[in-house]
Amino acid sequence: MSGSNAWTRSRERMRLFPELFAQCAGEAATYGRCVAATTTGRQELRKDMCAKEFEALKTCFSNAAKRKAK
Amino acid sequence: MSSGVCLRVLRAAGSPPAASSGSWSRVRLPADPRHAARRALSASGRGGTMNVFNRDMKKKQKEWAASLRDGHQFDYLRDEVGGRVADRVYDIVRTFPLALDIGGGKSHIAGHLSKDVVERLFLTDVSERTLKQSRRSEIPTHRVLADEEFLPFKENTFDLVVSSLSLHWINDLPGALRQIQQVLKPDGVFIGAMVGGETLYELRCSLQLAETEREGGFSPHVSPYTAVTDLGNLLGQAGFSMLTVDVDDVQVNYPGIIEVMTDLQGMGESNCAWNRKSLLHRDTILAAEAIYKEMYGNEDGSIPATFEILYMIGWKPHESQAKPAKRGSANVSFGDLSKISQPTDTNTS
Repeated sequence: MSGSNAWTRSRERMRLFPELFAQCAGEAATYGRCVAATTTGRQELRKDMCAKEFEALKTCFSNAAKRKAK
Repeated sequence: MSSGVCLRVLRAAGSPPAASSGSWSRVRLPADPRHAARRALSASGRGGTMNVFNRDMKKKQKEWAASLRDGHQFDYLRDEVGGRVADRVYDIVRTFPLALDIGGGKSHIAGHLSKDVVERLFLTDVSERTLKQSRRSEIPTHRVLADEEFLPFKENTFDLVVSSLSLHWINDLPGALRQIQQVLKPDGVFIGAMVGGETLYELRCSLQLAETEREGGFSPHVSPYTAVTDLGNLLGQAGFSMLTVDVDDVQVNYPGIIEVMTDLQGMGESNCAWNRKSLLHRDTILAAEAIYKEMYGNEDGSIPATFEILYMIGWKPHESQAKPAKRGSANVSFGDLSKISQPTDTNTS
């Protein structure tokens, strides 16, 4: 498939992912630790158990993307 | 003998094909997706084999991977495993007049072999484009477009069958191993390498945890693998003797989860199981990357991906092979162990 379509555009966006992620290493580590803690703890991992940490990560990520787009 | 691309399958004059499922039309790769369902129905007659993978999709993925302009950068894993399989071929001090490489792709094994070890090679793969890109080696090679589950060769043809990193996409693995055993000559050997067991467990766990936390449930993204313990049974049931199975871990470090998935795609190893979910949410990818880095990351920030490669060697039975001794043929007893004295030093000084 040549030319610009949904797949090429989304692939282009995904290419920026590692760079943007690198700017949010702190939030990512916090979220990762929260989830990793549930694997060793007695409670099973459920939906949104680490929602707060994830929101922080996602906000950081979106801001990084907005800065990149500027 | 010059190498040529045989796009139509070899037809042995008048002899039945090795595939036990019947007519020749099976051997030509089916173009329409209904064939995949029919294959499952006919296979179920052979004792409930599973239809786990969409073989048509796997062919399309391999064709796509072969069409990439810089596809050779993804060959590192296959080259490494191909080299180790070639090592095992060299361990057997024999010359093999006729060899078969199943799912050989761009021919990663033959490059490490020499003409004294293998005199003629047949290279098969489901993907035509991959075959067209196969590397030239000094061994005369015939390239055949064939599905691993429907080998178009006569029985008792090959002295050596090798397979590197393609058996893990086969639906009916017992059947395929049986066909390999059939196309081998007596006292022929099968040397295979397949990913198994704990391969990509980091990726699997990260995605599983991320999906559970973000979406409330998870679906399998990494295909199911054969365990080492099952491999011995599979080979035994297929009729191989003198089995050897060993495990090797290849760990590759990547910058991030996106690179892991891109490389797997580039290798043609994308998931093609019927039960795969066809999309990953952006949030899930973000969460999985964070979890992967935190749980499995190295000090330098890279993440490891483990490929557990199972190597198997099996021989087709032959009278010349050593057999277990008959019951009752013992001529020493365990009770005599106590009577064994220390070896005396015959050199008197």
